[in-house]
Amino acid sequence: MYYILAFIAGTLTIISMVTNSTLAKYVGTAQSTLVNFITGLLVSLVMFFFFNNQSLAFISFPLWALLGGFLAVFIVIITNLVIPKIPAIYTSLLIFVGQLLTGIIIDFLVNHSVNSNKIIGVSIIVLGLFFNFMVDKKDNKKEINLKDEISIS
Amino acid sequence: MYKLGAVFAGILVAAMIFFNGTLTGYFGNSTTLVIIHTIGLITISLYLILKREKILINNKIPFYLFLGGAIGVILVSFNNICFMNIGVSLTIALGLFGQTVMSLIIDSFGLLGLKKHKFDVKKLIGLSLIFIGTIIMSIN
Repeated sequence: MYYILAFIAGTLTIISMVTNSTLAKYVGTAQSTLVNFITGLLVSLVMFFFFNNQSLAFISFPLWALLGGFLAVFIVIITNLVIPKIPAIYTSLLIFVGQLLTGIIIDFLVNHSVNSNKIIGVSIIVLGLFFNFMVDKKDNKKEINLKDEISIS
Repeated sequence: MYKLGAVFAGILVAAMIFFNGTLTGYFGNSTTLVIIHTIGLITISLYLILKREKILINNKIPFYLFLGGAIGVILVSFNNICFMNIGVSLTIALGLFGQTVMSLIIDSFGLLGLKKHKFDVKKLIGLSLIFIGTIIMSIN
């Protein structure tokens, strides 16, 4: 069940990324991010009033956990700095690898142990990502050659 | 150097899932969503103020483009729920599989107004490797 939810979260990530980047063509990335958070906050507030059943008594919690929302914005800014400098397919491959490795490290820090299956699994996933990356790279070259031929003719 | 920047962005994504998931453990899903979006909104507003950007948002923009944030709420809450039950690395691995499948679908049909890219059958090999790797990760 949670596996399916995590998979759906992945598909939704792409849909929201495409929507936000199309909006960015109109208003720029920073303002597209602004819109993203305004809409997100409105929807969250609606959900909060309908579904929240916890009392709002003050709970002590680690303050660093508040950094998530800040990071969300920071990631958008970094990604936009990086994208124009290196080919887009590199960007997603490197971001994926960074995520997977950090995920394993965090799980290790939380549980104080890591099972070898996770490391084997991640290695195979990186192999798969890299394979498709190479296919994309070849396709891109073909497209560029095609463009050259068209412009020559 | 910029490549390191991309890796760094990935590291931050994992950290973010961890922070948001931890917060969910304390406050529950809907309160956490409000906290995350409030802090995000403050951060991006400060950024825009510091950069002194002129606001270009107007009513000529197609309405559906404003809905990305709504989808974002659903995906963040799914991530938060999954983090608490299956941990960060498996949530990320399954999410990446979903991302890869979805981008292939969007590209091959040219959905959401994007340019159509022919589906390369060779990509099924990479996709199966990602799938197999994810299954191995989920075995305890």
